[in-house]
Amino acid sequence: MKKDSKIITAIIFLVLVLYTLTLRGAFGIPGIGDFKENLEKPSGAFELSPERGRYVHVVALAEKGDFALTRDWADVAYPDVGVAGGKFYSFFAPGVTYFAVPFYLIGAKFNLAQVAVFFMEIIIGAISAAFIYKIARNIFALSAPASFFSVLVFAFASSAWNYSITLYQHLFTVLFMTTAFYAAWKFRNESGPYSRLYASWVWAAYALSIFVDYPNAAMMLPIMLYFAYSTFSVKKLEEGVAISIKWAAIATVIVFVLAMSFQFWHNAHYYGSWLQLAGGIAGYHKEIPINMESPEQTQDIGAFFSERNIPKGFYVLLFSDERGLFFFYPIFILSLFGTRLFWKKSRDIGIRAEYILALSLIFVNLALYSSWGDPWGGWAYGPRYLIPSMAFLSIFAGAFISGGVFTRFKKNLALLLFLYSSAIALLGALTSNAIPTKSEAILLPAHKHNFLLNLDFLNKNQSSSFIYNTYFDGKFSLEAYYLAIYIVIALAAVLTLLVLRDKNHG
Amino acid sequence: MANAFVIKKSHFRIFPRIASIYSPEDWVMLLAFLAGLLATVWAFVNRYITAYGDAESHLNIAKRVVDSLTPGFAQLGGIWLPLPHILLMPFVYFDIFWRSGLAGSIVSGIAFVVSALYIYKTTQLLTKNTGASFLASLIFILNPNVLYLQSTPMTELPLIVFFVLSTYYFILFMEEGELYPLIMSALFGLFATLSRYDGWALVLMEAGILFLYYLWRRKFQKFEGRLILFATLAFFGIFLWLLWSFLILGDPLYFTHSQFSANSQQMGWLAKGQLPAYHDIAVSLEYYFVASMSSAGVLVFIASILGMLVFLFDRTAKNRFYILLLLLVPFFFNVITLFLGQSIMFMPGLTPTTFEWTLFNVRYGVLMAPFAAIFVGYLAAKNGYFGKILLAIIVLAQTLLFLSGFSPVLAFEDGTRGLSSATAKLPDAQYWLARNYDDGLILMDDYKRVLSIIRTPIPMENIIYIGNKPYWEESLVAPEKYANWIIIQRDDDLWRRIYEDPGLNGRLYKYFEKAYTSDDILIFKRIGDN
Repeated sequence: MKKDSKIITAIIFLVLVLYTLTLRGAFGIPGIGDFKENLEKPSGAFELSPERGRYVHVVALAEKGDFALTRDWADVAYPDVGVAGGKFYSFFAPGVTYFAVPFYLIGAKFNLAQVAVFFMEIIIGAISAAFIYKIARNIFALSAPASFFSVLVFAFASSAWNYSITLYQHLFTVLFMTTAFYAAWKFRNESGPYSRLYASWVWAAYALSIFVDYPNAAMMLPIMLYFAYSTFSVKKLEEGVAISIKWAAIATVIVFVLAMSFQFWHNAHYYGSWLQLAGGIAGYHKEIPINMESPEQTQDIGAFFSERNIPKGFYVLLFSDERGLFFFYPIFILSLFGTRLFWKKSRDIGIRAEYILALSLIFVNLALYSSWGDPWGGWAYGPRYLIPSMAFLSIFAGAFISGGVFTRFKKNLALLLFLYSSAIALLGALTSNAIPTKSEAILLPAHKHNFLLNLDFLNKNQSSSFIYNTYFDGKFSLEAYYLAIYIVIALAAVLTLLVLRDKNHG
Repeated sequence: MANAFVIKKSHFRIFPRIASIYSPEDWVMLLAFLAGLLATVWAFVNRYITAYGDAESHLNIAKRVVDSLTPGFAQLGGIWLPLPHILLMPFVYFDIFWRSGLAGSIVSGIAFVVSALYIYKTTQLLTKNTGASFLASLIFILNPNVLYLQSTPMTELPLIVFFVLSTYYFILFMEEGELYPLIMSALFGLFATLSRYDGWALVLMEAGILFLYYLWRRKFQKFEGRLILFATLAFFGIFLWLLWSFLILGDPLYFTHSQFSANSQQMGWLAKGQLPAYHDIAVSLEYYFVASMSSAGVLVFIASILGMLVFLFDRTAKNRFYILLLLLVPFFFNVITLFLGQSIMFMPGLTPTTFEWTLFNVRYGVLMAPFAAIFVGYLAAKNGYFGKILLAIIVLAQTLLFLSGFSPVLAFEDGTRGLSSATAKLPDAQYWLARNYDDGLILMDDYKRVLSIIRTPIPMENIIYIGNKPYWEESLVAPEKYANWIIIQRDDDLWRRIYEDPGLNGRLYKYFEKAYTSDDILIFKRIGDN
């Protein structure tokens, strides 16, 4: 246990340091005039509308104590802005904004408001990484090096890095998903006073995850089903069946009710109805004058998801050269083999339900966002919608290198794919997430729709990194900075795989 | 914190009692009948039974055999296989069943009930598990695509029933080695070959499996006898159809290359650059895979693929490769026909939005519904308590996806708003004629589906179309000879041969007046004193 604590400390340290080196932003408390159109300034802290859309609400809440935006601020977040009750709001679920306010207030005291807000995501990323380790180690019973490798894959060889240094919802989703998974597992295996605590967190994580991103209501369902499965246990008796109920799960539903009540209050207070979601409010069009008297046309969010999008979405998210998971991060190919290898082991060590739960989370994530009308995630780097899946796929990558036959070959293959995937992840993290889709790229001068565009940024010394731009720009090139970070990651991976014993560790 | 409730078996005695009222087979039939009836009532009330353009064509073919200007079996034609129309004949005789499409609902409905029963029996044969077999039949019964098609005169359900029956008896034959099931398999194979061309692939596959089956056992003498026995019956339908085409139409392969054949129609799409799967195996596979998945329900289909894999790797399962090949016949057939350009499919999400239509023929995916049902049943049988709960959740979730509209009911959508739809394209002329038709014969090119006959008060015996040989041909020389009305659609046979012919055009206007004009349709009515 002591060893694990040390490793977790190392994970948190490594993630905090390396992520901070790539954290996006600049000194100051950005005002309306500091924002520029995304096409004018790629590789900036606010290069795309999702981060702007969340940040403007942070400013509004912190400065005025009101979530609503003025028209000037709404124009900053444009085009992802709507109107409700004559006031402006971004289309994004409000959870991330609320969490960010304390960071803004603290950062503002040091003239680092934006950097502090973005740093919040790094903390979330580090905690998530720690929980990935705990799940791999405690639930999936992988060895410490294999579990550590899982963390390396998630943190440094996936899109998680690119979205932990800016203001998006994805890392929050991973945090709630991994912690709820872990808490539900603890709840299943413990019946003492702590079981109430674990159950409370499962409920809280479910409600909060919805607050940061509405589709999490569906994405977290496998965990809630597992939680229900852990609550009721059925035993066959001669005269019938005995059903045991862990009442802690039912008593703690109050946590969910309270957390949801706040969301409903937010919806009612700002959007006009407790059931009205941010993404469904009427759109705001700069060029059309707003008639505050006329009723606003709300949108049906559910209509954005459709089964008929699945074939295309599936291809875009997994295989395309625009966003494909296996194209950007081929290390996850090993995860597929890892799931197959782990099938038997999961039964042997009695975690078949947890194994199926992890697969279900991946499946629901993939199915949901394949059916989303925009699987590309707008201008983005890699398959950002699959970041929650990457957390669990990383664990299966760790499972792949654990034990079995051809261990040496598997380790070498894993190292090779890790080096490639982490190089891609770092490239995006240091430069930009503003990568157009193929259909849009055709119309742009660069004609590039994937990380090749980021190579151009790298060559032009165009970085989004707060640390590099503030302290090192002009002293040495971005390429050297890239290489320095990359060597640390590569060394971490090499050492981890070296420590890994050759036979049946795990 | 954990408290235990004991639920005594005695509290649930009522369920086994209810269950024991009927045998599982009877329950399956009862449930299928009730579900089918409800779906048909819904379709009837909302006038969806004949939403497909082909639905009316099937009804009309059968109707013309029993009731037209030149009734007789020749009206069966040489493109669509005859059995579904022969089955419709006793019902379409009654105008109410013909016009409403209920004749088709009866035929497809019976096929649906029997299919559900034999899906149960096939799963039972593979799993020896009553619960799993019941689940398999339920998945088939509750499939909304199947439920809609079983309320229509379309030919998918007649094919499915003969496919399932033939497959069941073939598997039984492989298990028992008796002749009776082989003969029954051949008999239902024969019916399948006379229902849709997919049936031809089925009997070919069965013959091939028979070969492999005996080759593996090195019993060549037995193979010869069994093959002759099987093929004589199973291929007799194909022989009859070729003979029919030769005798009636002068060409045994008329259905493959006549101007009315599917192939000729597909060439039209190819010329427009809108035949996406043509000579592209990846696209053909993609289209039919997605169509199958959407038709079965995405979650159910994925579960069935898992079930198929479990079956494939289950060494205790006898003849598993042969059975798998048999159940995959619709998949092979449709992929090959898409590849060869013999069939066409437009699928939303796959078909480019620049195409004229993006929804067409997706109902072919329904032919994989038995596969999905049987393998989900198999997966249930092979799973423990936890797996069964998981499967129940998957089936429930799929139902919710269909109900919420997330999973579209493609067979229904195609019928009501796709290129296959008649109702989506009913012209104004249709309503005009329904209001103004008084009496007399109507000359029209019915192949082009100018108007929907069943939606007008016109009796079938008042229609002159290409199948009414002497009337049609004489009318093309002297349009006034029989017809009181002439309906011409832009670029149809009458347009080209009468309206655009200078001589006949004059004659047309001499005897007829233009009573209705639209951009595409002209309706001429005979001038009173002629």
